Amino acid sequence: MNAIEIAGLSKTYTGKKWTRVDALKNLSLEVAQGEIFGFLGPNGAGKSTTIKTLLGLIRPSSGSARLMGEDIGTAAARKHVGYLPENPAFYDYLNAEEYLLFVGRSFGMPEGLLGQRCAEVLQRLQLWDARKRPMRSYSKGMVQRVGIAQVLIHDPEVYILDEPMSGLDPVGRALVKEIMTELKQRGKCVFFSTHIVSDVESVCDRVGIITKGELRSVERVEAVLERGVVGYQLTLKDREGSRELYVPREQLTTTVGELAVQGVEITLLEPRRKSLEDFFLEIVTGTAV
Amino acid sequence: MFEVFRITLKGIFRDRVFHGILVAAVLLPLVPSVSQLSMRQVTELSITLSLSLISFILLLLSVFLGGTSLWKDIDRRYTFSVLSLPISRTRFLLGRFLGLAAFLLLAALVLGVVACVVVSITAGNYPPDRPVVWGNVFAAIVFDALKYILLVAAAVALSTVSTSFFLPVFGTIATMLVGSASQQVYEYVQSPAGEKLTPLLRQCANALYYVLPNFSAFDLKVNAIYGVPLSGQGTLLTVLYFAVYVAMLLLVATVLFSRREMK
Repeated sequence: MNAIEIAGLSKTYTGKKWTRVDALKNLSLEVAQGEIFGFLGPNGAGKSTTIKTLLGLIRPSSGSARLMGEDIGTAAARKHVGYLPENPAFYDYLNAEEYLLFVGRSFGMPEGLLGQRCAEVLQRLQLWDARKRPMRSYSKGMVQRVGIAQVLIHDPEVYILDEPMSGLDPVGRALVKEIMTELKQRGKCVFFSTHIVSDVESVCDRVGIITKGELRSVERVEAVLERGVVGYQLTLKDREGSRELYVPREQLTTTVGELAVQGVEITLLEPRRKSLEDFFLEIVTGTAV
Repeated sequence: MFEVFRITLKGIFRDRVFHGILVAAVLLPLVPSVSQLSMRQVTELSITLSLSLISFILLLLSVFLGGTSLWKDIDRRYTFSVLSLPISRTRFLLGRFLGLAAFLLLAALVLGVVACVVVSITAGNYPPDRPVVWGNVFAAIVFDALKYILLVAAAVALSTVSTSFFLPVFGTIATMLVGSASQQVYEYVQSPAGEKLTPLLRQCANALYYVLPNFSAFDLKVNAIYGVPLSGQGTLLTVLYFAVYVAMLLLVATVLFSRREMK
């Protein structure tokens, strides 16, 4: 069973002056358990609309979706999910500990386990010292950490994170990436939206690119990077010393042969590739980068 | 639902609006002194002032806490995180309402106890012609609380469709004004003077009388002040009216809230 199954999901709004806005167009997608899926797109592409629809915050105009086999829009489907909204806001009169206890109890966690998990995630997210302070006194980064903590507390099967790195410092970003990798190793599904390509490149198994409400491409990140090899940087050593040489991909075999004939030693061969960002820009702008 | 109920109560107790309104309660101990302005009915005046002050505080609480509670959740985007938990929207809304209702009842009881102390001090110093009927004073406070709980239900219903602060707050105030006047308007329309009105206007007034809330039945101040016996059937009907009206408002609110999109 896939963790997330989306079939033909569409969402149409009535915009200003009764104009029709197609926020999502016939989106179909499957995300497996144990997979980290990056949902990439420019601002206003439909990433948050997709996520809010999965969580039942928005009703789809057509199509269907399931989370761990349960139809979206039901409490049963949400039971399997930890959701981090974009720029999250939580009851600011509560402190982090109280909010996590509220979330855990809403998921029906037993009190003993909840107390233990609460302490673990607060320490992991470096919120332990601030746990008794009302959240209204927290910085943006701390609120984001509470957001991460509240998705982890009940150890769900599916993690849906809307811009999880937003507002975090480099240490926080590294921590979130580390947590995502650990979740994947434990067989959890992580679906996260971002417009920062490097975040996808570093942790994702697959990437989906959405623009103007349309899912334009779904690829394995590894495959994109492999396909994107455009040439090689060779480090050579001969009688005159060391030097570097760039060789286009299609000339590699010939060049290596010629260098061998000349008695030049190749000490290092590094592929030069288009980045995921180039791939993303190609799709978004429709032109080769 | 109990979790939402619990954090609603926590939120109210930590709310600055509540702390501000609570300041009005410090006026209650001044009631015995002010009541002496009446030369003959000091105790009766102390009951009047105490009940009126309690009613005013409950009104402020129901308008500013009831009218802003759900609206704030939506406006500040708390709903994104809370409604993504496995809590149905109906349970969330009912949890919110029950938290507010429980708080109003609690506030009415606490203020009522202080008022009873105040009135008993006054009655000790200036014994009234008719003994204070404490049961009636208690009933007046409880029915006042029920009236404001009904108002909170209206405020919650208005919040479910509102995109701004104005509708829940000013709509609640308007509901209060209309609900307080509807009985008098109805009686005027039924009186000989009302027969001069056009038939259409009279029909509209009659229709609105049955649709809009009627708060006059909840007013037991006269019974409390003068010790007039309560009508058992009347109070039972008022409780029934309260239950049916609140249930209908909450039903409408849950339907509207379930359909609302959290963009």
